[in-house]
Amino acid sequence: MTRPDERNDSQALSRLTQLARDTVQQPTAAELDRGLSALLSARAASQTSRRRQVVRWSLAAVCAALCALLVVQGTAVWRGRARALPALAYRIEGGTVLAGGYLRDAGNGGIRLFFEEGTKVELLPGARGRLRPVDAEGTRVVLDQGSATFNVARSKERRWLVEAGPFSVAVKGTLFMVSWDPQHERFELRLQHGSVVVSGPIAGGDIELRAGQRLLVDLPKQETLISEEPGASATAPTGQPPPSSSAGNDSSALAPAPVASLQPSTLAPGTSSSSAAVSSASKPERKSSWADHLAHGRWDRILEEVEQRGVDATLESAPSEELFALADAARYRRRTDLARAALLAQRRRFPGSARSVDATFLLGRVEESRDRAQALGWYDEYLERAATGTYSAEAWGRKMVLTNELKGRASARPIAEEYLRRFPNGSYAGAARALTTDP
Amino acid sequence: MSKRLSQVSLSLVAGANGHDVSDLALAQGLATGEAWAIRVTWQRFAPMVLALAERSLGSRSDAEDLAQEVFLNVFRKANTLREPDKLRSFVYSFAIFGLKAELRRRKLRAWLSFLAPEALVNLAYRSTDVESRDLLRRFYALLDRLSQRDRLVFSLKELESMTIEEIAPVLGLSVSTVKRSLTHATARLSRWISADPGLAAALDTRRWQR
Repeated sequence: MTRPDERNDSQALSRLTQLARDTVQQPTAAELDRGLSALLSARAASQTSRRRQVVRWSLAAVCAALCALLVVQGTAVWRGRARALPALAYRIEGGTVLAGGYLRDAGNGGIRLFFEEGTKVELLPGARGRLRPVDAEGTRVVLDQGSATFNVARSKERRWLVEAGPFSVAVKGTLFMVSWDPQHERFELRLQHGSVVVSGPIAGGDIELRAGQRLLVDLPKQETLISEEPGASATAPTGQPPPSSSAGNDSSALAPAPVASLQPSTLAPGTSSSSAAVSSASKPERKSSWADHLAHGRWDRILEEVEQRGVDATLESAPSEELFALADAARYRRRTDLARAALLAQRRRFPGSARSVDATFLLGRVEESRDRAQALGWYDEYLERAATGTYSAEAWGRKMVLTNELKGRASARPIAEEYLRRFPNGSYAGAARALTTDP
Repeated sequence: MSKRLSQVSLSLVAGANGHDVSDLALAQGLATGEAWAIRVTWQRFAPMVLALAERSLGSRSDAEDLAQEVFLNVFRKANTLREPDKLRSFVYSFAIFGLKAELRRRKLRAWLSFLAPEALVNLAYRSTDVESRDLLRRFYALLDRLSQRDRLVFSLKELESMTIEEIAPVLGLSVSTVKRSLTHATARLSRWISADPGLAAALDTRRWQR
């Protein structure tokens, strides 16, 4: 007979496995795009090496690894297996730490935390947060609401993790400000020094930010914007903590800007931008084509060149192939405004071309993150113009999904049936069958 | 015209032709190194491999790395596939092989005591709340303590919902060994959970929706 405590343990395990099962989601189309791009690059690189070379290097690596293993293990024994670092000491100003790590503001001046290894954290007035376990794993700070600045000292042993709503920021030696507005589900990170990796419900997976960049995620609008901070320091990460005077100064340097100013001006065609100030005389000579950049995953190079040439000028003068490469690069870098502008330019300037038809489909993909009804319109137009085109299966699938979301199951069912008739083994076949089956 | 084809291969959305291709034709395309076959194979099987790896390892970035490794191996060895219509099983076997290797690497890293496991900062969560992330962290830390075989059996059974009869051939084990391994893993995990008061409390206080 099962004891009650055994039953409880079993239930606890079931709950944990259920949580783990439910947490993992299918990769998005953008993540798959990114993965395929990386795979093609890796494959191209691997094909250049010869098999013999691999065998020879493998043998050498095994020998080296064995030697290294002996040395490393010897060192570990010598260190007395001192894996656990002592807990990190800190002092707090302007508030207290309550049970559960809750940081309570003593007044209205915000809370400042000073850690012994040099890291400073400041919760700006109005912010609420929690200090999670400070142990050998590293330190985690949870920002429940408001803004906070982090000046994290570089350390090989300790990791820093900042969590804000559904987002987490992996940190090593950097200076940044993070804000989370739970009411409007808006996340913002402004990075002054170093680099961070942000993960969370972001289309395209984790985002690595460089010094001087600002990330803004608006969950209700499903918008992810990365922009360059005008005048921000683009200092490369060094082995030392970034130069700073005090936490107060850091926070003033990174004071949150009004939301309206977060729109990256370089994204919007037709608006004045810093890129427009660059004269055509200073235009750098392109050593390789954008298609080549795209094939090698050098999306940022394309976007940099566009900014140097000027967005408007590029959209008006770039050949069809370059516009397409630009649209792809902008899509992969989640600069949806720029991607949309490039695709619209493609349609306007080359209306009779095959790329113009493809651009119609891709406009639907881009528009899905902003206006699903409009995306549906683009898919309809694409299917009218290219019933058996390159993207017809994908267009039928997306049309079915969006119709189901916007107009309900009854409207989506005929599309699902048509999809199954045309593409019985297509990637949306499962969803289509689910729609055609009575609930 | 050649530029147009090049553009199609770079537009990372599977085209109509890709969806209509059978596994048999796909395997034959891979064996001859066709570019379209690589693209379609990725689009068709990568979601399966990524989800399997992420659930088993608890890390999105590790899962992505593993998927890259798996598909490079699949493309390299495609011409050795004896039954081309069983491409899905072929890819799956490479994924399991990759998982085993990754778990071995993790054990090695854990054994080398001062190389702390990197997965701790990169768990698989997207929109989950902070409390759930804590639970997941602790859960995957417990899984890390299992042996490689026990962990794989447990993951395939409980996280992938495979039957014992399906797991046995995939791992090259007998059915009785899989059963034994699963019992062992479940008992150990349950014991560790009950011995962790913080975990038990978090589970008690968390509101379960289902």
